[in-house]
Amino acid sequence: MSISGKTAIAGVGVTAFGKLPGRSAWSLQTEAVKRAIDDAGLTKADIDGLLTAPPLAEPLLLHAEQLGGKLGLRTNYLSQKFIGGATAVALVAEAALAVEAGLCEVAVCVYGENAKTGLPMLFGRAQMGRGQAPSDDIAYGLAGGPIMEARAAKRYMNEFGVTEEMLGSVAVAFREHASRNPGATYRDPLTIEQYLQNRYVSEPLRVLDCTIGASDGAVAVVVTSSERARDLAKPPAVIAGAGVAANLQGLSDPDHYTSYPGARSAATAYRMAGLEPEDVDVAQFYDCFTSTVLITMEDYGFCKRGEAGPFALEGNLKRGGALPSNTSGGMLSEANLVGWNVLAEGVRQIRGESTSQVDDAEVCVVAGQGGFHAAHATLLLTKGAA
Amino acid sequence: MPHTLTELVAGAAPIVVEETRGYWEGTLAEELRVQTCNECGNVQMPWGPCCTRCLSQDLGSIVASGRGRVFSFTVVRQAIHPNFSAQVPYVIADIELEEGPIMTSNVTDCPVEDVRIGMPVQLWFDNEMEDAFHTKLRLPKFRPAKG
Repeated sequence: MSISGKTAIAGVGVTAFGKLPGRSAWSLQTEAVKRAIDDAGLTKADIDGLLTAPPLAEPLLLHAEQLGGKLGLRTNYLSQKFIGGATAVALVAEAALAVEAGLCEVAVCVYGENAKTGLPMLFGRAQMGRGQAPSDDIAYGLAGGPIMEARAAKRYMNEFGVTEEMLGSVAVAFREHASRNPGATYRDPLTIEQYLQNRYVSEPLRVLDCTIGASDGAVAVVVTSSERARDLAKPPAVIAGAGVAANLQGLSDPDHYTSYPGARSAATAYRMAGLEPEDVDVAQFYDCFTSTVLITMEDYGFCKRGEAGPFALEGNLKRGGALPSNTSGGMLSEANLVGWNVLAEGVRQIRGESTSQVDDAEVCVVAGQGGFHAAHATLLLTKGAA
Repeated sequence: MPHTLTELVAGAAPIVVEETRGYWEGTLAEELRVQTCNECGNVQMPWGPCCTRCLSQDLGSIVASGRGRVFSFTVVRQAIHPNFSAQVPYVIADIELEEGPIMTSNVTDCPVEDVRIGMPVQLWFDNEMEDAFHTKLRLPKFRPAKG
């Protein structure tokens, strides 16, 4: 059984991103849900499924139940998921499964928090380096995402001759997109010279190679059947393919420095959709780091191993290039909503609503990367049958 | 004794748990013990509650030679954890042990600029420390191999 083409994202709701002092996570989440329902042209009474990702700063065990209560919902399906940065994409895939299986008819998926101005990201800090006893890597000073990722980036660059300019060209391309997005956190133009003068956090990664630390904000999407979505307010973003793959040994596995389980989650999504990498018009990568984007491009078959760096350096990730990517600015320049903002931009591209719209964008891929090379999720969004 | 998650997180010592007790006891004897599976012969790091190849819980260990090579590394220029702010720049490296598995540690006793992928390194043990529950342990670290 395939779910290809049977469900669609019918509504998107985003709040403002960045610094939103005084806003609670609940207030942001409920605002995004309201906006997504309104966007689809639905009412609260139509919603019978709720799927949430718990905020990093407030990892509540009963987040879905509590948010459902605050929204005053009675649902036929309820779920809460956290698989790191793969959560957004994987949660939409789960919503599509629930709708297709008849567990509910209209599901809302939501994530939001006030990680920038509210509670510190205690949960994230607690987990970093605590995952792998007995090395208990925090004892060696391994605390924080950039250090986790830098060792993979170093090995990847060493193996394939990837230069710092190639990493930087990812940041430059995404900033150019952000400069046209009024909602982006960083909109000033960025040159490769500025990038090369930027300070290192954890070599080879500079500040500009890393996602924005944390943003306040929320994103929600409405998932329903493609049939129903066609009659709603906005053009549907049809879910043509999905995949969720994992290799949970992370960096204990030597293969994992230069690839992700994304090769498998993408293969599942392409097979389901009957599509090839050549069919993809625009991509929204999980860009927690510039190196993550290059490795994902190779996993997804857009470039052969070791060729994503030169491909990016040639400007192919910019609008007008061969693979325009992260057209809102992504997590490097727009906001760090843990991939949810990247997902929202994927829907905008299919609808023709992006501030860096790709002409005739028929197929958009959205990537979610979680748990430092452990989990990966892929969505292929299309306009569907005309 | 820390009482809250915040206090536990603020500390930078490992936390010794049941399945890693043998590993940390080894460090006090200046032995780097690599976990082995008595059923399928798998050799693994870090230690866990079962064999990641066959799921057997009949586990043993061998004492590593202490020789290895840098598989990958990073030079940390900005410490995110406050306990390490005074130490920057420092090297976190993934060491491919002669026995096969990869373990995360520090490379010390050389300028950070000298560390390279493939560089031969030799094990040493840092000073005794205590975990949050006063269990003694020593951290295995690596320095460039001589000759």
